[in-house]
Amino acid sequence: MRNDRLLVALAIVVGIVLIAVAIVYWAEPAKSLPGFFPGHQAGSSHHHTKHGIAAFLVGLACFAFAWFRSGPKRASTAT
Amino acid sequence: MVPVRPEARLDSHVILAALITYPRAIVLGLLQGVSELFPVSSLGHSVILPKLLGWNIHQNDKYFLTFLVATHLATAIVLFLFFWRDWMRILKGIGRSLRDREISDNDPDAKLGWLLVVGTIPAGILGLTLQDSLRKIFASPTSAAIFLTLNGLVLYGAELLRRRAPVTDVEDDARIARTVSWRGSFFVGAAQAIALIPGFSRSGATMGGGLYVGLSHKDAARFAFLLATPIIGAAALLKLPELFGHAGDGVRGQALVAALCSALTAYLAVKFLMRYFETKTLTPFAIYCFVAGLACTIYFVS
Repeated sequence: MRNDRLLVALAIVVGIVLIAVAIVYWAEPAKSLPGFFPGHQAGSSHHHTKHGIAAFLVGLACFAFAWFRSGPKRASTAT
Repeated sequence: MVPVRPEARLDSHVILAALITYPRAIVLGLLQGVSELFPVSSLGHSVILPKLLGWNIHQNDKYFLTFLVATHLATAIVLFLFFWRDWMRILKGIGRSLRDREISDNDPDAKLGWLLVVGTIPAGILGLTLQDSLRKIFASPTSAAIFLTLNGLVLYGAELLRRRAPVTDVEDDARIARTVSWRGSFFVGAAQAIALIPGFSRSGATMGGGLYVGLSHKDAARFAFLLATPIIGAAALLKLPELFGHAGDGVRGQALVAALCSALTAYLAVKFLMRYFETKTLTPFAIYCFVAGLACTIYFVS
């Protein structure tokens, strides 16, 4: 139970971070991205839209995982 | 800042129209529709064929990539319409599972829907981040021919490694949902990434992966086509604005013709393959890829 809550909390935090990362990718050109971001390139005005989409989708997947993981537990049918 | 002369833009239209003429667009469209769904690498064929026919078309040229967008979109639409009823059931299943906050084993539509989501994630991420760089690295017809040969070996390897699933001629999503695990779906989805290299086939990789996780040929083909639809469609939609921008100048008409041809052959291909895999295997495609790839490799390097 405790592990479940930890996993859910972790998935929500990672989801929020990834969606924030997606917004940064969409808003900032490659030259203005933080140095540790994949796609950072000094002097480039290219926007890494696809990187942003990838981060956004994985963020959504994290939220979906948290949603199912935190759902009401149903008694499993004995076989 | 030097303004572009109107006549210069007109010249470029004429050049592009000469590179992709309407007859060439028809050939490329017909080829794209078949090779996207047959496990023989559409990208590989779109690199190799122009070289074999002596057409001055390079697969990394902006106008050619823009031209291909239309054919990919047509293929995705055909796949979506072909499996329309299945998609409706799957989407309703996903909706039910979100409402109930549970992916029940008794709801195969929901399970299949989420298996497709899980399979799409690795393919989508790898495609979005690596597609352009891999295309640039492996753009030459020679490397595409070498990878087509290797694709033949991969397909044959998948046949050798597959678990002996029962032959099935009835479509049953419950069986797919029961057989494929979450990890298996992720593996099958990740296998699609190999198709980013021209010469390797997306449908071949997913069908091979499906066989490996225990699906029958028919179920593996069905799962592969369902998995391919959002990926091909999303990739095409992302690039669609380019077709209506400057990059599409001079090739828009040809792209439309090619899209119609591609839609026709994609429909015939999916209809044929769903019947074919009721009883037959990947081996003939493996042999074709190996022989054609080897012959083209020898031709290009000699």
